Amino acid sequence: MNKYIIFIGLCCYCMTSCIKDEALNKECDIESAWVEGVEYEQYFYQTTEMRKEKISSAETNIVFFVRSILSLSKQIPLNFKITDGATIEPANGSMQDFTKGTVAYTVTSEDGKWKRTYNVTFQETSLPVQKFSFEHVETRAEQTLLGGTNEIHVFYEKDITSDSNEPNYCWATGNPGLALTMTDSKPEDFPVYSSTDGKVGRGVCLNTQSAGALGEWMKKPIAAGSLFLGKFVIDYVLSDALKATQFGVPNSKEPVRITGWYKYQPGEKFTDKNMKEYPDRKDEASIYAVYYRNTDDQGESYILDGHDMEDLDKVLDNPQVYKMARVASLPATDTWTQWEMFFEGRDAPDDIVAAQGFNLALVFSSSKSGAQFEGAIGSTLYVDEVEVSYVK
Amino acid sequence: MKKNIAYIILIATSLLIGSPAKADTLDSLQLKARMGYSIGGTAPIPLPETIRSIESYSLTPSFMVGFDAMLPLTQQWGIMTGLHFENKGMKATITTKAYFMEVVKGDQKMAGLFTGHVEQKVKQWMLTVPVLATFTLSRKVMLKGGPYVSFLLNKGFSGIASDGYLRKDNPTGPKILMGNREGEWATYDFDDDMRSLQFGIGIGVDWQVHKRIGVSADLNWGLTGIFPSDFKTVEQTLYPVYGTIGVFYRLK
Repeated sequence: MNKYIIFIGLCCYCMTSCIKDEALNKECDIESAWVEGVEYEQYFYQTTEMRKEKISSAETNIVFFVRSILSLSKQIPLNFKITDGATIEPANGSMQDFTKGTVAYTVTSEDGKWKRTYNVTFQETSLPVQKFSFEHVETRAEQTLLGGTNEIHVFYEKDITSDSNEPNYCWATGNPGLALTMTDSKPEDFPVYSSTDGKVGRGVCLNTQSAGALGEWMKKPIAAGSLFLGKFVIDYVLSDALKATQFGVPNSKEPVRITGWYKYQPGEKFTDKNMKEYPDRKDEASIYAVYYRNTDDQGESYILDGHDMEDLDKVLDNPQVYKMARVASLPATDTWTQWEMFFEGRDAPDDIVAAQGFNLALVFSSSKSGAQFEGAIGSTLYVDEVEVSYVK
Repeated sequence: MKKNIAYIILIATSLLIGSPAKADTLDSLQLKARMGYSIGGTAPIPLPETIRSIESYSLTPSFMVGFDAMLPLTQQWGIMTGLHFENKGMKATITTKAYFMEVVKGDQKMAGLFTGHVEQKVKQWMLTVPVLATFTLSRKVMLKGGPYVSFLLNKGFSGIASDGYLRKDNPTGPKILMGNREGEWATYDFDDDMRSLQFGIGIGVDWQVHKRIGVSADLNWGLTGIFPSDFKTVEQTLYPVYGTIGVFYRLK
């Protein structure tokens, strides 16, 4: 009988008593960053711009939009919330000079084994150009744990109106979501990449792809090519995919019309999120833009995400949204064809517009219902030479 | 599979019959039919620091039925073998911090460090052949100990990672949040990757309560992990450790 007690004792020992002491944290993230103090409010258009909350885990560029770089005081203290136990260099809250460009901050994990470097920039305008030619692209290579390297194209713009030569990463794609399950891929393997076959110079190729066995199993079987002004917050890609696409960047001019060039061919088989085939449905491309107030009634910053865009017919019903433009149809064509769309809705108050109180969201997708994981694998949309006209 | 079962039975019987037994020693052969219920776990031993707590452990139908034959060699020492059909199942919810895991589907993989809840289910229906030395302590109590080999007939290793996040590849990789509903969490199963043969050490006691009826307690400690050593997906080696409380009926 004594043995019996020993057995139970052993089992209990293994199952519970062996819980070791908690290891030191391995993570080293900047979770939020902010400028504090009324004396600094004058540099920003809106006080909401002084805080960057919920910084995406994949983000290493933190940008603060200011009225004028030249008017900045030489030294500004930047505060951070970082992973518990981690340390940051230069010190949290220390005075730094952002007038000369990027300041790099390095966060080291509590266990000292991991580091991440963040580039913090103060920039004048959020949307630096009126014309997007998609000539600026950089290839980001990331080593994957399971061997191999994923290379992804990242589109950016350069501010031609100021002396700043900092790249502005205003464009986002869903590529990082697909990269999660890819182990060794070239830029052209992803749903969005920079193509040498542009209308002028380089252009963007967006194509709807299979998300593979893993994607199908997670009920996200296809990945539409989508390029948009805004951010792709990878954190939500599995738990709330529509929240991952956060549309819009601040813009201090009111848009009237957007034009551009495209080529489009829909894929063969239209399928839904269960990969059920619909022989009578044809895939369509989608190009649209939304102009909306980026601060809500409570004075908190507001961003449109995929949930708000689920039904494009209802976007204008959103009280935050002032204007919207849609390209009525994009017939299949193999030659570069021009499209245009006009903004409809209500006029935005000039003072708020000038104070960067509005965001412009511009979205291109190779499958109109790609956010619902409906579309045809193989649908391919090329886009180039996009031009935005503003109210004078 | 049938061939393997036949092979195990052959080993079992040959161990008995093949032993240097004369007719009179064969007469002293003890036969016991037994059944029991097992409680235990299939876990890394010791638990790694990435496992922070065991939130729940639910009983699974871990039954054992079988028979044993014991051949006394001296007054006190003997040798025992038999054939047991048993399940070493487990269902446990653990909380993890930066626990390495991998999700595999087809040719695609996603690996990283998971912090959150893991609901783990293990199913291992097997035929076990123990080869035990016995020591008769008294007329009623017999101690036993020795190796065993198990052949798995039906196996399952699956789970759900929820309410937390996966840092892809390493602690600086993208942080993928997981929710608490289907479609928001990640599931995995590695049924086919499990070993078909397991070895281990068992110790136990048989206590004859009545003329023919007795109770038993056994502890079977796996020495081989449930996955082959070249299977890297589950970082820690998982050992099956199960205690069995049972009753037996002495046939002879």
